[in-house]
Amino acid sequence: MLVALSLLLALTTRANAFDLVQLSLQLREPTVVRGTFTQEKYLRALPQPLVSVGTFVLARDRGLLWFLQDPVQQDYRISAAGIARRTPNGWKQTSQQGPAARQNELFLAVLQGDTEALQRDFELQLTGTTQAWALTLTPRSRLLAQIFSTILIQGSATAERIELVEAQGDSTLLTLTDIQIDDQLSPGEHHDLAD
Amino acid sequence: MTSPTDHALRLPAWLSSLFFLALLGLVALTAWQWRNGPPISANLLQLLPSGAPGELEQLAEQRVQAPLNRDLMLLVQHEDEDTAVALAQEVAGNLKASGLFAQVRRSVQADLPAMRQQLLDQRLVLLDRASREALIASPEDFIQQRLQRLFSPFESTSLVPVEEDWFGLADLAQRRLPHPGNIHPRLDGALLAEHDGQRWAVIHAQIHGDAFDDKLPLLIDDQVRAARHRVESQQGELLAAGGVLHAAYGQRQAREEASLIGSVSLVATLALLHLLFRTSRVLLVALPVLVGALSGAAACVALFGQIHVLTLVLGASLVGVSIDFPLHYLSKSWTLQPWQAFRALRLTLPGLALALATNVIGYLAMAFTPFPALSQVAVFSAAGLLGAFACATCLLPSLVNVPLQPWAAPLSWAERALALRQRLLGRLPSSWLLAGFVVFCLAGISQVSFKDDLRQWVSRAPALQQQAERIGQITGFEPTSQYFLVRAQTADELLERQEALGTRLDELVAEQKLRGYLALSQLAATTVAQESLHLALPRLLEYSQPLLALGMTAGALEKELAALQAKPVTGLDQVLAGPIAEPWRPLWLSTRSDGTVAGLISLQGLRDSSALHGLADGIAGVSLVDRPAELNRLFAETQRQAALLKMFAAVVILALLCLPFGWSGALRCLAVPLLAALGSLACLGWLGQPLTLFGLFGLLLVTAIGVDYAILMRERIGGAAVSLVGTLLAAVTTWLSFGLLALSSTPAVSNFGLAVGIGLVFAFLLAPWAAKTTEEPAS
Repeated sequence: MLVALSLLLALTTRANAFDLVQLSLQLREPTVVRGTFTQEKYLRALPQPLVSVGTFVLARDRGLLWFLQDPVQQDYRISAAGIARRTPNGWKQTSQQGPAARQNELFLAVLQGDTEALQRDFELQLTGTTQAWALTLTPRSRLLAQIFSTILIQGSATAERIELVEAQGDSTLLTLTDIQIDDQLSPGEHHDLAD
Repeated sequence: MTSPTDHALRLPAWLSSLFFLALLGLVALTAWQWRNGPPISANLLQLLPSGAPGELEQLAEQRVQAPLNRDLMLLVQHEDEDTAVALAQEVAGNLKASGLFAQVRRSVQADLPAMRQQLLDQRLVLLDRASREALIASPEDFIQQRLQRLFSPFESTSLVPVEEDWFGLADLAQRRLPHPGNIHPRLDGALLAEHDGQRWAVIHAQIHGDAFDDKLPLLIDDQVRAARHRVESQQGELLAAGGVLHAAYGQRQAREEASLIGSVSLVATLALLHLLFRTSRVLLVALPVLVGALSGAAACVALFGQIHVLTLVLGASLVGVSIDFPLHYLSKSWTLQPWQAFRALRLTLPGLALALATNVIGYLAMAFTPFPALSQVAVFSAAGLLGAFACATCLLPSLVNVPLQPWAAPLSWAERALALRQRLLGRLPSSWLLAGFVVFCLAGISQVSFKDDLRQWVSRAPALQQQAERIGQITGFEPTSQYFLVRAQTADELLERQEALGTRLDELVAEQKLRGYLALSQLAATTVAQESLHLALPRLLEYSQPLLALGMTAGALEKELAALQAKPVTGLDQVLAGPIAEPWRPLWLSTRSDGTVAGLISLQGLRDSSALHGLADGIAGVSLVDRPAELNRLFAETQRQAALLKMFAAVVILALLCLPFGWSGALRCLAVPLLAALGSLACLGWLGQPLTLFGLFGLLLVTAIGVDYAILMRERIGGAAVSLVGTLLAAVTTWLSFGLLALSSTPAVSNFGLAVGIGLVFAFLLAPWAAKTTEEPAS
């Protein structure tokens, strides 16, 4: 870890200003982040966005619980093992295939501010301050560029607004609100993430 | 030095001129055969009978074998994933630069627009069976699921945009397509396989040509070694698997063994001869060996187009047998003094010719088995013996026609040994000894197991095997030699039959007896299924309210349905032409000349091949191709056939021996090698060694060589003791070459060497009995 950090430090040009290492440290600080989300999916084909709302729990090193509540109900869990959906019979791992299969990692990396992982796939451009920052991600590989044209993340203590612009012209805007920082998971959340 | 008598004993001069001419021709022929490098092959498949009877079966076999022979899979692992990927990139770059590979792939840079287009055009035919049935049975649920997928933040990215796929059929087809194996691209496209919490960077290479092309395996093996060295220098780990690596190992091993065993036996034999005859002249006996090897190789290349390394290894042992010819007359120098090569040759020539004839008959019997492996060794040996015989009779005598004063001691040893034997026989009659020997044989033979397996034909390379197994576990690609061949009148019928079989295979997968399979029916729906989808599609409109609520317009939905229904049904060949179908393409054997169609179902990670038997019962046109099982049947059949052929050869040899020795003498001479072979077989049993096809071949060889000893002892030219010394010499030199084969790392070769080695000991010990009847009347 130390080696990686010093490497990142060395890579950073503006050592004194707010940089990727600081952002990474800042986003990794809380053990648990809870909040509500609003997802607006803008499809070129539809006159209005597909709006859905729900709650989420982000646990450092453990994963993400994403509970979609309206207009459809569906619970998701994203962890290193992949994406699982809650079914009447418990969590069920969805089989993921093709280039899209690794997008959950990307999603986790974005929320957790894992800039190290993000740098592998994207050119990162950070502006702003600790209190108000914006991170722009541009795909490095042709494969990824065929899916995303750019990803924009904004936030303060945590990420608050994530915009994914797809190469085909559709885009998704995630707004995270009512954010609470905690140092432990509730027993239920613990169970959901441990399962 | 040449006396008039000596001169008179010479073979006619035209014979040696003819030999020279033939030798020149042989050298020229060999030079021409080797003009494009050594015509040596390491392809085991060429040694096997092509069990595939028809053109279609052969095509199927080729399709299944191709990836096994052509593909090379490399896995790179490192504590740091990015380092692993970087190392893989470097290794892939080196492999590409070597020019040995037709393709080296370590990442996907998929052509998404082309895949998108195929999904869009063929969404109805690509839709899997469960989705088709869901759509027909409950359009309402189908729409609900579409809604969920639209809102899900994690399943959102579909290759086909919503406005071209309102009902999400292409989206669904994309998600439901089976994804064989366990290799996934990273976001940057690098191929990774994840297993047990470790991630491996994957390099998939395809070689130019065939794994068994002459030099290619060794060159590729060098590349892999360099790559491993590089990865390990960075504290990483590299795994590699591919038929080509096995081929390289086998080639290296076989060549090393052939040259090692060949040279050790030659050097030891020549040293022994030098010790006994005390003149370096005698080292010229290596000449017949050389001529023999040349003629054997030339005959093989002429008949089979090339010579297999396994033949070379076994052929290397021919050294010991072909040296017997000169030894037969050289050993006469102990008593036939002053030594005259031509006189000794004249005296032994009938015996030599008889030995040659019986040997060649013994070998050629094997040439008629359906196993190319045996035919090749038989042809090599028979031609080799003929060449060696010609050289030993036409050329050698004039070269060794110098005074010979052999070391006297062995002769007195032989005399003492014969006297000892005589005393022993006085106390213990032969019949008792024979009875004891038969009991020993019967008890031993009852313990012999008959085992044949292709794996015995290749040298043990546990490291390679282990790596291949690990790669199979990590990547999920564990190709099997078993597969199903499905025939049908039409492509639709083919898909139906594959689907019926697929349902049963699914059960095996669920029971974990099978890791997975690839069938054309997973990829495409039948035209009938497409038509019933066409009929069901309008019902989607009735339940499309939730979609309209999202802002989709009724007009757009109607238009899409109309377009879908207007789509003509798509044929299997059209689906196969698209980029999505790449993994399935080799499974399609296309339309035959008689208008029927055929396709394969390939299997992955088969735990127990017996689970497949009877699986296709009741489904027409399906046949299980189980090549290993088929080979085992062939092995057993060939063993029976070889034994029969050998019996036939024994009868021919018996008839031949009758000419000089009469019935009882011939029977005696034949009994010696037959008993020796039985003794050897019994020893294999006692030692817990199985009898393989090559072991059987070895036993047959024992009978052929043993006849020589019997003939030598029977003729007693120069006296019994001299004949015994000659026999001992022949046995020791032969043993030096065949016995050494027992050390080979190729189980089949080692089994062969053991069978011959033991058999020779018996043949030598029993040989004096061949002479018994003439002893009594003479005394």
